[in-house]
Amino acid sequence: MLLVPVPGTSAIHDLWAGTKMLVVAGVSVLLTFYPGWVTIAIVAALVAVAARIAHIPRGAVPSVPKWLWIALGVGYVSAALAGGTPEVAVGGLHIGLGGSLNFLRITALSLVLLGLGAMVSWTTNVAEIGPALAMLGRPLKLLRIPVDEWAVSLALALRAFPMLIDEFQVLYAARRLRPKPVPQSRRARRHRHAIELIDLMAAAITVTLRRADEMGDAITARGGVGQLSANPARPKPADWLTLAIVTAAGGGAIAIETIFHLTR
Amino acid sequence: MAALCAVIAIVAVVVPFAAGVALLGTVPTALIAFRYRLRALFATTVAAGMIAFLIAGMGGFIGVFHSAYVGGLVGIVRRKGRGTPTVVFSSLIAGIFLGAASVGSLALMTRLRHLIYEAMKSNVDGLASFLGRVNLQQPADVLQRCFATVVGYWPWVALVYFVISTVVVSLIGWWALSRLIARMRGVPDLHKLDASAAAVDIPIGPIPVRLDKVRFRYPGTGQDALSELSLELRAGEHIAVTGSNGSGKTTLMLVLAGREPTAGTVERPGAVGLGKFGGTAVVLQHPESQVLGTRVADDVVWGLPPGTNVDVGQLLREVGLEGLDERDTGSLSGGELQRLALAAALAREPALLIADEVTSMVDQQGRDSLLGVLSGLAKRHQAALVHITHYNNEADTADRVIRLRESPDNADMAGAVGASAASVAVSPGSQAPVLELIGVGHEYGSGTPWAKTALRDVSFVVEQGDGLLVHGGNGSGKSTLAWIMAGLTVPTSGVCLLDGRPTHEQVGAVALSFQAARLQLMRSRVDLEVASAAGFSPRDEDRVAAALSVVGLDSTLAKRRIDQLSGGQMRRVVLAGLLACSPRALILDEPLAGLDAASQRGLLTLLEELRRDRGLTVVVISHDVAGLEDLCPRTLDLRDGMLEAMPTAAKGVS
Repeated sequence: MLLVPVPGTSAIHDLWAGTKMLVVAGVSVLLTFYPGWVTIAIVAALVAVAARIAHIPRGAVPSVPKWLWIALGVGYVSAALAGGTPEVAVGGLHIGLGGSLNFLRITALSLVLLGLGAMVSWTTNVAEIGPALAMLGRPLKLLRIPVDEWAVSLALALRAFPMLIDEFQVLYAARRLRPKPVPQSRRARRHRHAIELIDLMAAAITVTLRRADEMGDAITARGGVGQLSANPARPKPADWLTLAIVTAAGGGAIAIETIFHLTR
Repeated sequence: MAALCAVIAIVAVVVPFAAGVALLGTVPTALIAFRYRLRALFATTVAAGMIAFLIAGMGGFIGVFHSAYVGGLVGIVRRKGRGTPTVVFSSLIAGIFLGAASVGSLALMTRLRHLIYEAMKSNVDGLASFLGRVNLQQPADVLQRCFATVVGYWPWVALVYFVISTVVVSLIGWWALSRLIARMRGVPDLHKLDASAAAVDIPIGPIPVRLDKVRFRYPGTGQDALSELSLELRAGEHIAVTGSNGSGKTTLMLVLAGREPTAGTVERPGAVGLGKFGGTAVVLQHPESQVLGTRVADDVVWGLPPGTNVDVGQLLREVGLEGLDERDTGSLSGGELQRLALAAALAREPALLIADEVTSMVDQQGRDSLLGVLSGLAKRHQAALVHITHYNNEADTADRVIRLRESPDNADMAGAVGASAASVAVSPGSQAPVLELIGVGHEYGSGTPWAKTALRDVSFVVEQGDGLLVHGGNGSGKSTLAWIMAGLTVPTSGVCLLDGRPTHEQVGAVALSFQAARLQLMRSRVDLEVASAAGFSPRDEDRVAAALSVVGLDSTLAKRRIDQLSGGQMRRVVLAGLLACSPRALILDEPLAGLDAASQRGLLTLLEELRRDRGLTVVVISHDVAGLEDLCPRTLDLRDGMLEAMPTAAKGVS
């Protein structure tokens, strides 16, 4: 399920969408510059607490395909074979953990980043994202950047997204219903694949352009672009609190990492 | 405006393609850059990037950014009319820039770079120590040394990598874009409403309007779309415009909404004021694309000038959507969406309200309530109402009815079935079960918080030559049932058998005609389409003609472009392709939606003849029962995913 919030309400659901976007952007920057264990652990803890408050059930987490598990397993084994510091002694056998720790760290980093993004899409109604972008981008207007235009196209894209996904499913299903000619040679098969891909893409783009034209007419019928939201949300005290907590956690992580030189 | 809409559309294509087929993610953005201004490309990038960011985090955003960068480049080169060498050259330069930017940012992100380096080093060292243990010390050393060298020169390696990949991706995008543009040449710009009419700086006053001997002809066509018409419309009047497809109803709407006619005069006191206060409001045919907001209340105010306050609750009450302010517009039915669009139109207190075939995509129940709202409007508001419809009975509540003349283009839709070669597996008189559904249930998103049950314990049998109607309203699970019967969806419980084997193992044996016929037509021309759907060569003109004659279409239509077909013809072309595969059964999902009365009759006659003469097994899925009795003697009622009653022929269920 994409961009559909988990049913229910909670403090996290009620936060302003802009706050959540700011947090995710900020934490992403933090993790790119300080990808140490301390930062990862602190952010992971934040995500876990937020998920707890938002009552995210375990079923919301998408299942991991088998090939990904296998790839992860192979990666881990080959990294673990490298050994290296730190070493632990288990019954007289010295096992170097350096390699596996490195591998685990980069995996944990990607997981935490994914989890953070997922928290936003699990708890945010898509209707709030466009207006939030318009408000967050307000300073950019001074640079004559058309932020409002971006916000409108984002909001409309989010509105059209589920409809078009449905239409793509029908397109794909219609293709599955067709008989598949058996190509003679490998070259013919490759050619066939390419042609089919182009066909499918042309069909998809034609469908979306048609949908866009209809929406364009609907926009014209309403006299162009204007208000986006009936009750525009604004940051509330809870939002400032959230931002404060996240900033404090991030600052703390940076302080610990730099003071103790935990990672290079 | 066109650019803005294309942006929206393309965004939706970019995201799945960029995720799935990364190499082709560039093509939609290339198309944007080819067709529209650079500004549209920026808006696309931002919107697509944000969506990708919400779905897949920072990686998604960067992926979309790269697609837009390379795609924009290819599109611009294409627009300038340059060739492959220019693509190679400019992508080389672009690759250098992209590489330099990436190297620069990696140089800044010291810690992340070290982490990536350490992780890669661990993998390489691990592999080396494994090789060393199996007595391959030499390759292990070579491997480690190579890695060390590569890492030593990492900025250069990264730069070369980015340059090469940019060039390769650009060339792939270039190839695909060229193919695509060739394929899509001649896709008509369907924009109907004229935005410039709204920009004129004179006071708004669309009513009263007088049309004197007005004719309209689209540029580049040889025939009038609207033949000579005189008409006067006063404030507060309710008129209905009827006529079949192609009689110029929609063209009349365009003229009333401000398009200049080809001949004749239109007199009105002021500007049309499309979508402005006291101006003209238009509600169009397609429910989903009418509604622009994601939340009901947001949609009512969508596009109003900033700072305007309207009483959303009152407007929603008037159209019978009271208390739904916070609902997601995606969860509304067609009828509710159209009523919402009406509320948005009323928020502008229009002097002229035009409803263009608003009921044609809506089920019977939705139609009744929509008409109820419409007929009450003229009484409560000082608005003139023009209701365009192809149902004569909908015109009854109007003060005046204007009937537009039949266009000559439309007379050939009788259901003549020619003698032909297409064979449907016939065994007359046999009562063998074709489709057998045993305790079928389906749940979407099982195990997630979004789990939704669509079907529960559905059992029935379709016999050879049967005509079955599955009747149900919105959200009754009837489309899911169609997908299961065609083998496209595997039911989560129970089985659906075709000739004793699960249907999903033999996809294609049961033909399915989707509600949106256009989505099922993938090639650009009728003959190519039929040949591709049936699996024979398009050069085989006899078979194409035979397939077309089965559905009562003339073989002269074979060279026609798909985009130039009417709704009824499209449905017939789909049927031609499906029937040429000799399916065991034919499932039709809402076959009559969006067709005018004459096309509906023609299609029904055709299907009845196919069933009677060829023993074709037909299953119709519909929210309407009217007119289907002859085609489908048996009816099953589906409500909330369960069968209501099993009227006849329930034998054979094990």
